[in-house]
Amino acid sequence: MSRSTRPAVILAVLSCTITPFLQAAGTSSPALDRAFTQNVRPFLTKHCNGCHSGATPAAQFDLKAYTNTASVIKDFPHWALVLDRLNAREMPPKPLPQPPDADRKLVVEWIQAVRSNEAKRNDGDPGPVLVRRLSNAEYNNSIRDLTGIDMRPTREFPVDPANTAGFDNTGESLTMSPALLNKYLQAAREVGDHMVLTMDGFDFSPHPMLVETDREKYAIQRIVNFYLSQPTDYAEYFEAAWRFKYRSQLRKPTATLAMFAAEAKVSPKYLPLIWQLIEAPEDKAKTEVGPVAKLQAMWRALPAPGGDPALLRKKCVEMRDFVVKLRAHTAMEFTAPVMRGLSAYSQPLLNYKYRQFNTHRRDFDRKALRAASDPVPVVPTIPRYPGLGQESAPRAAALMIKARDGDLNLVYPDGQKEAYEASFARFSHVFPDVFYVQERGRFFPDDSQDKGRLLSAGYHNVMGYWRDDDPLQELILDEQGKKRLDRLWDEFDFIADHTLRTWTQYYFNQSGEILGTGRESGSARPLDKAVGSSEVIFGLRDAYLAKAAAANNPVVIEAIKYHFQWENDTLRRVEKMRAGSEAQHLDALEKFAARAFRRPLTRAEFIGIRAYYRELRDKGALTHEDAIRDSIVSILMSPKFCYRVDLMDASAAAPASGAALQVAGKPATPAASTAAAVQPLSAFAVASRMSYFLWSSMPDEELLAHAQGGDLLKPEVITAQAHRMLKDERARGLSTEFAGSLFDFRRFEEHNAVDRERFPAFTNDLREAMYQEPVRFIDNIIRNNGSLLDMLYGKYTFVNPVLAKHYAMPEVKGAPDTWVRVDNADAYGRGGLLPMSVFLTQSSPGLRTSPVKRGYWVVRRVLGEVIPAPPPNVPELPHDEGKMDLPLRDMLAKHRENPACAACHARFDSFGLAFEGYGPVGEKREKDLGGRPVQTAAEFPGGVQGAGLDGVKAFILEHRQKDFTENFSRKLLAFALGRSLQLSDEPLIERMQARLAANGNHFTPLVDAIVTSQQFLNKRRTDTPSER
Amino acid sequence: MPNQTPKSAYRISRRTVLRGAGVTMALPWLESLPAFADATTPAALPKRFAVLFMGNGVNEDHWDAQGSGAEMTLSKTLSPLEPLKGKINVIHGLFHKRATGQGIHPGQTGSLLNGSMIQKGAIIKAGVSVDQMIANKVGQDTPQASMVLACEQPMTGYHESNFSMAYSSHISWQSPDSPVPNEVYPSLAWDSLFENRGSLRNMSILDRVRGDAEALNKKIASSDKAKLDEYLTSVREVENRVDGMRKSKDTADEVAKQNNRPVYTMDRPANGLPEDFREHTKLMCDIIAIAFQTDKTRVATLLLARDLSALYYPFLEMRDGHHAASHNNNSDGYERVARFHLSQLAYLATKLDAMPEGNGTVLDNSCLMFMSNMWIGRKHDNSRLPLVMAGGLGGTLKTGRTLDFIKAGDENRKMSSLYMSIMDRMGVKVDRFGDAEAPLVGI
Repeated sequence: MSRSTRPAVILAVLSCTITPFLQAAGTSSPALDRAFTQNVRPFLTKHCNGCHSGATPAAQFDLKAYTNTASVIKDFPHWALVLDRLNAREMPPKPLPQPPDADRKLVVEWIQAVRSNEAKRNDGDPGPVLVRRLSNAEYNNSIRDLTGIDMRPTREFPVDPANTAGFDNTGESLTMSPALLNKYLQAAREVGDHMVLTMDGFDFSPHPMLVETDREKYAIQRIVNFYLSQPTDYAEYFEAAWRFKYRSQLRKPTATLAMFAAEAKVSPKYLPLIWQLIEAPEDKAKTEVGPVAKLQAMWRALPAPGGDPALLRKKCVEMRDFVVKLRAHTAMEFTAPVMRGLSAYSQPLLNYKYRQFNTHRRDFDRKALRAASDPVPVVPTIPRYPGLGQESAPRAAALMIKARDGDLNLVYPDGQKEAYEASFARFSHVFPDVFYVQERGRFFPDDSQDKGRLLSAGYHNVMGYWRDDDPLQELILDEQGKKRLDRLWDEFDFIADHTLRTWTQYYFNQSGEILGTGRESGSARPLDKAVGSSEVIFGLRDAYLAKAAAANNPVVIEAIKYHFQWENDTLRRVEKMRAGSEAQHLDALEKFAARAFRRPLTRAEFIGIRAYYRELRDKGALTHEDAIRDSIVSILMSPKFCYRVDLMDASAAAPASGAALQVAGKPATPAASTAAAVQPLSAFAVASRMSYFLWSSMPDEELLAHAQGGDLLKPEVITAQAHRMLKDERARGLSTEFAGSLFDFRRFEEHNAVDRERFPAFTNDLREAMYQEPVRFIDNIIRNNGSLLDMLYGKYTFVNPVLAKHYAMPEVKGAPDTWVRVDNADAYGRGGLLPMSVFLTQSSPGLRTSPVKRGYWVVRRVLGEVIPAPPPNVPELPHDEGKMDLPLRDMLAKHRENPACAACHARFDSFGLAFEGYGPVGEKREKDLGGRPVQTAAEFPGGVQGAGLDGVKAFILEHRQKDFTENFSRKLLAFALGRSLQLSDEPLIERMQARLAANGNHFTPLVDAIVTSQQFLNKRRTDTPSER
Repeated sequence: MPNQTPKSAYRISRRTVLRGAGVTMALPWLESLPAFADATTPAALPKRFAVLFMGNGVNEDHWDAQGSGAEMTLSKTLSPLEPLKGKINVIHGLFHKRATGQGIHPGQTGSLLNGSMIQKGAIIKAGVSVDQMIANKVGQDTPQASMVLACEQPMTGYHESNFSMAYSSHISWQSPDSPVPNEVYPSLAWDSLFENRGSLRNMSILDRVRGDAEALNKKIASSDKAKLDEYLTSVREVENRVDGMRKSKDTADEVAKQNNRPVYTMDRPANGLPEDFREHTKLMCDIIAIAFQTDKTRVATLLLARDLSALYYPFLEMRDGHHAASHNNNSDGYERVARFHLSQLAYLATKLDAMPEGNGTVLDNSCLMFMSNMWIGRKHDNSRLPLVMAGGLGGTLKTGRTLDFIKAGDENRKMSSLYMSIMDRMGVKVDRFGDAEAPLVGI
């Protein structure tokens, strides 16, 4: 047991203990004062002040300045150091005469008494938690949760500094500057650039929404994703129908078709249609012909339950393939109506053709069928790809004949034409040729080449989109689904304005076909918005009609009338949607602000948001969209969003009000002496504390609802919420931010010290995997309430393909984001945090290991020991161990021969030497880079012998485990509170330790202790807010 | 930063480019103009880069130049450059190999300024264009990183070759996924420069959040005020800087006046699109000229007529639209179209040449490029591209030459190599660009 380390731990967390608050709070006890005068001062005068006083006191530490107990309390961090040094007998330094043990003991006990007296007297003091801006990670996560898009706008920000506890989430270290504010402005602008107005609010897109293609990409992707998410695989339906058929054997005798549909995630609307077609009464089945008969036969032949599920699946797939192929061969074909002087892709004509396709997907092409005695159709030569303006149907028809060639399902026995046609009609009515068209090539429907134009209309040289999904709506979607799809298409227009833009391009690029001005344009310069007016649209219609009248073709006339009417109706409807949506965008802005500010808005804030929008429109002359955008930027720039301000509960102005918590039988507000200066936080402030502690992000709706409802402050509710939050994916923030700082791997993704020529295995992928390993390991503990001790002794770890290879573990197959748990990691020299390559690599300066840094990492980061910085004049070790004369361990041993060095190095070198079996990138090794066999034996502090990873673990288990759990608890508390710890936190630390001990060292009880603690739920009130 | 991911090159928000951010602003160069005007070393003067683009090629029968210096002879289409002969280079034979055999139009245009292999189908992928590469570097020294202007609205959707029409509508790309938005309205382009709309908007936002912070300040404990003061001070500081930027136009005019130098002035163009296309192109050139002179930006692209242009030229007595006419590109009419567009280069170059700077003119410190995506429109031939450059780029580019790379071999006539040469001279060092791994030999 290293007795000297404990006080040092305390020192580390005591950076800014004493504030005016504590001075005002009370004075020291008379007994301590007496002891100071009688024992302490004389001791100092005799043994210390010789060096530590005068004009240039040693270590700039003037002990003469302390004249009473109060002055010691005020500067206790220094006195913790005094305690440390006296305990370790490092002071007075050895050559000088040593004080008698009894005297030393008196002073030590006095300092300890002051400490425990102070701790108890201020137990639960919330401490000074400063207003602060969000850390970079918190900002990124908050934007992610606010917008739904993980855009990480702070990636160009400078790295946040950490406080003395090692965390970057405190007002002690987070500052603001004009340069940084500029970056905030850019970041907020970037977020604003992702904003997309929808019909009833706004959303954020994964990419910026600045040019037309961005808008189209966004809206199209949503529609295509909707299509792709629909259950259109017939095999799934056949299988679900099969389950219904055999529901009794499957022990679900009462289950309905709808229930099986739900189970199979297929449409409950569509499944009955298929069921009715394939499951026919026997007498009826006998009279069936054609495709229905064939499908019914396949259906009846499906194996009964009890057989091989794969066989069933295979048979259902065969049924599907039969349907799909037959429908492909019987799909209908259309041509554009012909009008002299117009090409086949003149939009009014081409769109007519498209409409025919849209409305005939559940019909079949009678020409596809032939009688057995009919001559077999000759497969024609496939015409060349149609040229500009030519009808594509002839080529498509030829291709179809070729496709149908040899399909005997299209042949009916002589004399049975009607029965077969009826069967095909029923068949096609249930099975459309396609449910929707998601992409087209040019000159639809021949998309034999140039696929990939999503939702495209296939027009030549102008943009244009075409919706074709009637069968999906009719057969599969329920009312809600139809509405959703309609809405997505409306939003496509709303967001990308595609109908108007298509119209405009058509007007300028193609309407010349009717105006006789050549292919392009009807006028010299764009008339701009006027182009979309009803006047222009119907004017052009009339020009077409005049020409069509001369041709006297009723289909063409119908096509033209319909087209321009539809064009006009759509544009007018979009205009209306747009006009009607502005008010809703403003409502959405208010909701956005409340989410961003993490609390309900005040009345003044409501008014302010609307007033600012108005000002931007009126004075700034911004468009509606830009005004909303800038309003969003202003919300993100407001300190109410980008700062953490723990507002006090206005309704709980009196201390110790009813809202306060009862914790473990103690009064919720801190000890009486400080109560007057402490006030409970509002429930919303507590919600934010919770979420920034556990998620490094903003509260979610549920947490805010509990704050709003007022029950968040009940202990059972707050712990239940904490447990919920710890299970949530966002608790990853605790692993990356808290554990990442505690164990110092947070910035490993930028680690560049590895010589990649010597270690080609160290790729960016491996580096990322190394970083991810502790994140996933700790995340697993946190989210499953695992034991803290797994970090030390766990025999398991998590690896992905590249890391498994690095660790010589069995191959993991899959993408880099395939992570698997390896339970026997110890067989490969891994398991727990200590042998993770991230730590072993980070500490290595390239071409050698660094036992010093590795050991230092173990004692400092894992065990919480504080080691002073080395003096500036220490010589560097050679950078390449391959070029050293002596093994590294011998060189270090030499270093320790110097007593000045040994004092510290003896405390940690051994921990690092034990890891010599791991090379500079954490790889297992037998020899160092100089070819010398590595030795892992080490003498741990106190003369304990051990070797290798097991030696380190055994030593910690025997002697230092408490240091680990205590350090972990302290750091977790400091992280949760957003401040350095102080003496008054000691009792809570003790309670946390007790909880750990009582709960098998599991993680969650630590969080429970923190979120119900006085320091977490209250705030110091240093003075009343000024009322200027 | 070591090991920078390739992505970081595009990390500047496109709106930053568009709006000039108005925030990350160094001191405008003009405030130190007097010292500058006396400077004798051209290296101290800023270098500018601009591209003027017309789509669909030229009339190859009338596009030629031979000889150098005073002996240089210019063909009909290039004749508007006659007075500037000593300050131009006519370059024959450069091309993008990757843009050949890819299908016509967008496939020939998407890589024009970036040299990349562009992608067909639903996903747009090109590369960062040379102007934006330069803007990312030198743009930090000016209020606006670059200006991306156009005289014709973009199209989207697909071309028959299955390339997105976006490739036909934009020449400036800030990231491979998305082009820089074109500014088509002269009034808005002017505003973004001189009203500094971006700045105005940021000012307004800062003003608003300052109000927010001050209100908050009243509700918090005094110990917290210090932290919030830090924020407030930063806001005020940035506001002051932004305000300073806004005033720089006035300062610039003032400084110039005191130096008895004619500063080109220009009134704000009217809202909306000019009815007359000639007026439109002229205004856009004027804006580039004044932006270059006042060092508001050093990088500009102007898309005069896009690929597949639907522009109409009644003033050239043309009946067909631009694209239709280009299918008959050796007609007299199409020659007039090409000459009209080329005359915009002559107009802009002349304008810049009338602006003294150091011992020379702004043109001498600029590199203007006039180019098209094709050589012969009726054949959609882009095996060589028409190219004229104007300006000496601060003494780094010899002018008054005709350079012929037609017979140099494909490896030695890469347009991307020329871009590397220009980037190199503007302080942008890259190992490769597009299909080029070295600057152009002989430029």
